[in-house]
Amino acid sequence: MKSMPVSFRLSLCALAIAGVSTSTLAAEECPIPGNVRVVIGSTSTGGDTYQNSSIVVDRLAEKLDINMKVDAVGAMPAFRALERSSNGSTLMIFHDMAYLGHLYGINGYDNIFEKYKVGPTVAINPGNAYLVPKNSPYQTVDEIIDAAGNGEEISVAIQPGGVSEIGFSALKNAVKIEYPGMEDNIVAVNTGSQADKNQLLFNGYADVINGSVQANEQYTRLPEDDQKAMRFVWLTARNETIKQANEEGLGETTREELLQYVTPNVSVTMDGEKDFTFDKEFFFLYNKDMSPEIVSCIDNALGEIYAQGEIQEQQKSLFFIPNFLPSSEAAAHLKDKMARYETVIENIQ
Amino acid sequence: MDFFSQLTPMILLLVFAGTLIGIIFGSIPGMTATMAVAVCLPLTYSLGINGALALLLGLYVGGIAGGMVPAVLLNLPGTPSSICTTFDGHPMAKKGEGEKALKVGIVASLFGGLFSAAILFFLAPVLADFAIKFSYVEKFLIIFLALTVIGSLAKNMLMGIFSGILGVWLSLIGVYPVTVGGNGETRLMFDFMEYYMYSGFSLLPVLIGIFGLSVILLDAEKGLKGDGDGQAIKLTKGSGFSFRDIKGQLVNMIRSSSIGTFVGILPGVGGSTCSILAYTQEKNFSKDSSRMGKGAPQGIIASESSNNALTGGALVPLLSLGIPGDSTTAIMIGAFTLQGIQVGPLFINSNIDTWYMIVTMLVVANLIMFAAMFFAIKYIAKVIEVPKHLLYPIIVMMCVAGAYAINYGIMFDVWVLLIFGVLGYIASKVGIEVVPLIIGFILGRSAEVYFVKSLESFGNFTIFFTKSPIAVVLWVLIIISVAFPIYMRMRSRRGGDAVQSN
Repeated sequence: MKSMPVSFRLSLCALAIAGVSTSTLAAEECPIPGNVRVVIGSTSTGGDTYQNSSIVVDRLAEKLDINMKVDAVGAMPAFRALERSSNGSTLMIFHDMAYLGHLYGINGYDNIFEKYKVGPTVAINPGNAYLVPKNSPYQTVDEIIDAAGNGEEISVAIQPGGVSEIGFSALKNAVKIEYPGMEDNIVAVNTGSQADKNQLLFNGYADVINGSVQANEQYTRLPEDDQKAMRFVWLTARNETIKQANEEGLGETTREELLQYVTPNVSVTMDGEKDFTFDKEFFFLYNKDMSPEIVSCIDNALGEIYAQGEIQEQQKSLFFIPNFLPSSEAAAHLKDKMARYETVIENIQ
Repeated sequence: MDFFSQLTPMILLLVFAGTLIGIIFGSIPGMTATMAVAVCLPLTYSLGINGALALLLGLYVGGIAGGMVPAVLLNLPGTPSSICTTFDGHPMAKKGEGEKALKVGIVASLFGGLFSAAILFFLAPVLADFAIKFSYVEKFLIIFLALTVIGSLAKNMLMGIFSGILGVWLSLIGVYPVTVGGNGETRLMFDFMEYYMYSGFSLLPVLIGIFGLSVILLDAEKGLKGDGDGQAIKLTKGSGFSFRDIKGQLVNMIRSSSIGTFVGILPGVGGSTCSILAYTQEKNFSKDSSRMGKGAPQGIIASESSNNALTGGALVPLLSLGIPGDSTTAIMIGAFTLQGIQVGPLFINSNIDTWYMIVTMLVVANLIMFAAMFFAIKYIAKVIEVPKHLLYPIIVMMCVAGAYAINYGIMFDVWVLLIFGVLGYIASKVGIEVVPLIIGFILGRSAEVYFVKSLESFGNFTIFFTKSPIAVVLWVLIIISVAFPIYMRMRSRRGGDAVQSN
């Protein structure tokens, strides 16, 4: 082999040293493993948790130049996987059910602020909705609250213990405030998937169902004589949240039309003064002992990703509202949210 | 039409690749069509909706059909929906007719797949409207009807029923999840077991433990000098396949494919239920079912045509209501959401080209599955001739890998495989019947949910009899299904007495 010129060899050495020192520096700044598993609190790959997690995780993996994979394992296996791994090789993405499950006393849901580290928030799904059959006698949530207050039993199909139940609790709370003693007329029909909730509405065994803009919007476009036709009566999202959605909204329901179903156009009182609102937010959860360097590394990486602005467009195109808050702000924000909903839940117990 | 311009060679290549990978996944014990779709879903993001669906539909069809290979050759259902294929497929393989059994299964699978694709294309919206008439009550009765197969399959009626109940009991261990409207509390276990058994026993490790590991343990007890059965299985020993083998089975194929398609249309009822139901109905309504369970092609036809017909059926609610019909289409819906496409009651009308593509790709996937399996099967079938001392360690390794992977890497599932392998071994020693036990296990959880939800919704037991005309029809089928095996047993006993008295 021909010997390389000395200058070329020196250059190569310099490059190698520079490369090594750069990667060492990078590893010190961000000591995250090269293969990271992101478990999510849902087993569905067709739901909003998987959809949103995929967007964020793909961008994060690219930014950190590591392998990351989203695994739809469900809440309990995800919490357990997170407990087992403190070196950053397992992270979790979930939504408000992580703390609502604890507030509702669901077995296996601990206080996330004590048991885990709360990571950054990444997005909001503004679509949490309540629907009635298109030919329902109830035109608005006000009419539903009044009917319950006047002794009619209103059955609401929900999945217990989380995002689906919080709106139900709010309705019950509103009836209690406006018609004390009549709140038991709002009755939960506990069920599972969106399919089950829809089915109860089709068969007339629920007056109201919890659903979402994404899953139910097409049903709202069916003619009234169709057994499957539904109508939105309430979106729990804040008015400001919906205002951030793309103007075209979702499907053929525009942002302006969606705004008709949120406060102040729809009022479900929280305490007699303020309206109840609920944004379904997605955020990271970490093992309690995960190093602060990894926490800030992910915060920084996401901060840069959101600063570039492309992810926001992607999220908005899929009807998510970008909502990046770094870990410390996210924890305070979610704690505050939890405290608010705790009062609602306690008030109806 | 834009549709033809979208049907590119790349799309066809993706269907081809998906089908082949699906067949491989389905053929490996412990790997399922659902797993194949889940593994490949993240890859589809960059393919666009047509490319994504081409790959996933191929995986789906290939995965379901591939499940028959280990079911026939190794007595191990490759996917839960091929459980009934083992009842007749493996006895045929033991007689040296493995290739014939597989070819019968492949033809039945093709028929089922094309039948359901046709139903999907012509009747999807109508059937979706019919499916929503099935409330918890009717769904419970369908599961109950499937459970009555225990009466037909049990060697000893009393022990069969006991085994079935034991299977139901085992399926209920663990949490009653809030995700199905439960209370989130665990039951049938001690507190210290909760960490491992919160979600109960997963179906696949139980299935391959009972069907695979227990047989290996039983053979190990006999010793592997020579062969477990005392004679080596030779493919050349039995008769070969001829299309005459499926002559006279058209009614069976149409009935089983209809059952498969229909069960697919009902969200939440599940793929295993359809093959069990189709097998039961063939046993009850065929002119001669005396050889079923001992190596009759009609059993394979019932099972395979129904489970492949499930594919088109499960797409009906997905594309007409936005609701997945089974566990695989539940993952497939991710392909739509990742691409930002809404599926719901208006999907077909607003995405007409995608709709044509889906039906075309489903047909193409079935044809590729047929071509690939029919002509390659004589080589695949040679697995049966591999000496057991070489074959068994490989099967154990695949079972362990499959059990570990099924819930994304839970070691407890490997223990479940071992526990149920030993349980299956003990069961065969004490006379517990494995097939009723596993059917009870498969159907137990759904039966509980639909039963409890029916009572919660309607508040009384009489609703099971009075809910709707559909419920009445299902009760008639249940009564026939229960009475028929009792009648057959009484008749054969009387026949035996007559022979004795003569």
